[in-house]
Amino acid sequence: MNGRFLTIAGRIWLGAILVFLYAPILIMALMSFNASPFYQLPFEFSTRWYQALGANAEIREAALRSVLIALVTTTIATVLGTAASIALFRYEFPGKQALRILLFPPIAIPWLITGTAMLIFFFGIGMGRGTPAVIIGHVALALPYVIVVVSARLATFDATLEDAARALGAGPWMVTRRVTLPWIAPGIIAGALFAFAVSFDQFVVSYFLSEPGDATLPVLIYTAIRKGFTPEINAVSTIIIVVSMLVMLIAARYSKFGGER
Amino acid sequence: MSAALAPRDRLRLLGLLTPAYLWLTVAIFLPLSAMLFFSLLSDVPFGDAPWHVTADNYLAFFQTTTYAKLLWKSIKLGLMVTLACVLVGYPCAYVLAKTIRGRAREALFLLVILPFWSNSLVRIFSWAIVLRGNGVLEVGLNAILPFEVDVNLMFSTPAIVIGLVHSYLPYVILTSYLALQAIDDSLIDAARSMGAGKLTILRRIVLPLSLPGLVAGAVLVFVPVVGSFMEPRILGGRVGTYYGTVIEDQFVAVFNWPLGAALSFILLAVVLLILAVTSPVLRRAQA
Amino acid sequence: MTRTMFHATAMALAVAGSTAGADEIRVLNWQGYGTDADWAVAAFTQATGHTVVHEYFNSEQEMLTKLRTNPGAYDVVLINAAFTPQAQAEGLIGPIDTAKIANLADVPADLTGNADLNAGGALHGVPWTWGLTSFAVNTTAFDTLPTSIEVFWDPAHAGKVSIRDDALEAIQFAAIATGQDINDIADLDAVRDKLAALMPQIRTYWGSENDWNQFMAAGDLDVATFWSGSASRSMESGLPVQFIVPEEGAIGWLDGLSIPASSTRTDAAHAFIDWMIDPEFYVRWAAEGAPASANAKAAAALPEDAFNKRVLGDPEVVARVQFQRPVPDETREAYLALWQELKAAQ
Repeated sequence: MNGRFLTIAGRIWLGAILVFLYAPILIMALMSFNASPFYQLPFEFSTRWYQALGANAEIREAALRSVLIALVTTTIATVLGTAASIALFRYEFPGKQALRILLFPPIAIPWLITGTAMLIFFFGIGMGRGTPAVIIGHVALALPYVIVVVSARLATFDATLEDAARALGAGPWMVTRRVTLPWIAPGIIAGALFAFAVSFDQFVVSYFLSEPGDATLPVLIYTAIRKGFTPEINAVSTIIIVVSMLVMLIAARYSKFGGER
Repeated sequence: MSAALAPRDRLRLLGLLTPAYLWLTVAIFLPLSAMLFFSLLSDVPFGDAPWHVTADNYLAFFQTTTYAKLLWKSIKLGLMVTLACVLVGYPCAYVLAKTIRGRAREALFLLVILPFWSNSLVRIFSWAIVLRGNGVLEVGLNAILPFEVDVNLMFSTPAIVIGLVHSYLPYVILTSYLALQAIDDSLIDAARSMGAGKLTILRRIVLPLSLPGLVAGAVLVFVPVVGSFMEPRILGGRVGTYYGTVIEDQFVAVFNWPLGAALSFILLAVVLLILAVTSPVLRRAQA
Repeated sequence: MTRTMFHATAMALAVAGSTAGADEIRVLNWQGYGTDADWAVAAFTQATGHTVVHEYFNSEQEMLTKLRTNPGAYDVVLINAAFTPQAQAEGLIGPIDTAKIANLADVPADLTGNADLNAGGALHGVPWTWGLTSFAVNTTAFDTLPTSIEVFWDPAHAGKVSIRDDALEAIQFAAIATGQDINDIADLDAVRDKLAALMPQIRTYWGSENDWNQFMAAGDLDVATFWSGSASRSMESGLPVQFIVPEEGAIGWLDGLSIPASSTRTDAAHAFIDWMIDPEFYVRWAAEGAPASANAKAAAALPEDAFNKRVLGDPEVVARVQFQRPVPDETREAYLALWQELKAAQ
């Protein structure tokens, strides 16, 4: 009885949090159907912002570019970050603690300062701007998140499992692939999702490092808040959320990444 | 394991670590070193502006009470938001990891992170529409409550906290989930069969074993929140001036990168100090 | 045979003509500030063959940083006259070839001769637009429109007031309220006290035109500082607001279009600037909400009821305006420190 009560209370709690997490998303979507350009209430249904979006090639291209950059960033950051996390977990070596501490400056120092630093440094070494520079910056900002998240999962990993596999004659790659990676898979997935979020929402670095005319969606939004922050931006955000939700639900349907058990 | 690794292990270690840290070095550490250098200059060495090495920018922090006051305000905000995220997110992660099974769990796991993929500015503006007077929250509450309430949270510290908790909650939920999900249920069952109560199990088994995840999440919340300026500005209005704001101003309002950089490195030092002070406490709790 | 030859020659000529004359120029400006209007760019491309790509900045400091770190990337840049001398002194912008800008003849001599735009002894910025930083009120909150800046300190509007989160603007605003010269503030303590008294009145600071419109639309504000061009746009879009130039005066600013010293497409850049001060361009832009044009012919071509003619065309009003001069770095930093101190006390 008591256990059952707790279970129900737990589900209600989870439900309440989902409501909290989605409340502004829902508002964002609703406002994309509201006629007022100043987000004025009362609500008046209109699809004018979606029509405007259809005619706005710039914003559509920017959205597509952002998705592509985020996908590339996620792939690179997840692979490199997971490798580094495994190394930090598996081996003891001098300077290990320092390497862990080094993950914090990119998180602690406001992105504006890091972005400015990248801009002058890339300018100084003659690399200049452009999509490669943007991706280099995004990966670097996403890496610490991946390493921290994957390491958090690795901390729960029983290292003797690796020893046991080794004792049974498995090589290091085999140990990693058959023992370590399956265990930390949820951590890798979470790390990848965070990396995507970091890149997809990152405007400072993109803003400083992208070529004119090659803006990403956050850059468009950031520059638009000065003047023309119209519900068109809500419309494109709504489309992105709906599409991501579909992709994710399909992924959830066909794979198992929340961890065994 | 001994301090000296076998040569083959050393190669593997380098192979795994080098790509990530080389990348970080080129894209972050070297640029930030340049900023660190700037923070010790009297002026930005662009063009032919004269400059010399000085500690003035760091001393400036102590010459007025403004910076210290705002840094303390930001740290308090960071602690408040982190505490709220932990109290709200940890139970949620527990429910997700331990009471929900199968596909539903996978789907919920993704649903928790999805709001994260929306643009943060759009999210903040949406909160503004919810929280302002005559906004969605007030209209909604008055529609369901039998009495009139006056809810105008906009431009207040609670509004800032709500916006920030919303932005950073997924970190705590997901990292806690990763650690909680790893706890073997049979361990909990064994404890229960030996007569341990719910609280004992939580305190002696679940909490210590999931602490690395919870701490990782808390750190990922606390560290960026202390330097935040966008959410406080938009949702906080007149009370939304924080330490991140004064750093930003040095870059945006005036061309005083040296001072802005010095203020940033003071922030970094204080954040690292806080982490260093708290980590032994947390490690003891885990043991 | 001859026919084929003719065709080939004609085609070669056409190709040569279009490549020699057609450049892609890059313009650095605030977003949505005239140069990037679709129709204006399309008309320019049609007339000259040159195409236009825009990049935006969000603060003057950022604009200068972009010029410093990306030599050769821009061909036209919008610079507020108060920043032109600095950009010129740093070698970021080059002199304007006045012979290439026919419309310059219609710009009054007091503007083409502006000391700041002529930094370094030659014209470095073509006078483009000017406007005021004053304030606008929500007309639904007032029976009679205020005529004094003191309305900001009126207890009747406590919690319904906003100023922009900008140290220089806040301090110059208070300088006007305390009857001082904005370019040479003698009594900074009076400014500090005036702003300290204003703080409790403030609901929030605004940061952008977009913020401003949303706060007004939501009824959060009764009175807030604003820019004249933005005010005309807000009125155009149906917000119940009115721009006011109080008896104490207002801050005036002048924006110029400059050509970076590193630009390699200066012919196209000059042509673009010429189009930007053309009356035809301006009249259409003004209908959408624009600041005042520097071109006298363009200003004269406005309809009688146009905002810029009604409000800024009044010599009485212009007489009350104090135009912004360059601000030395140390002064700017001192203002920022003062503004931060005031904000931190909240």
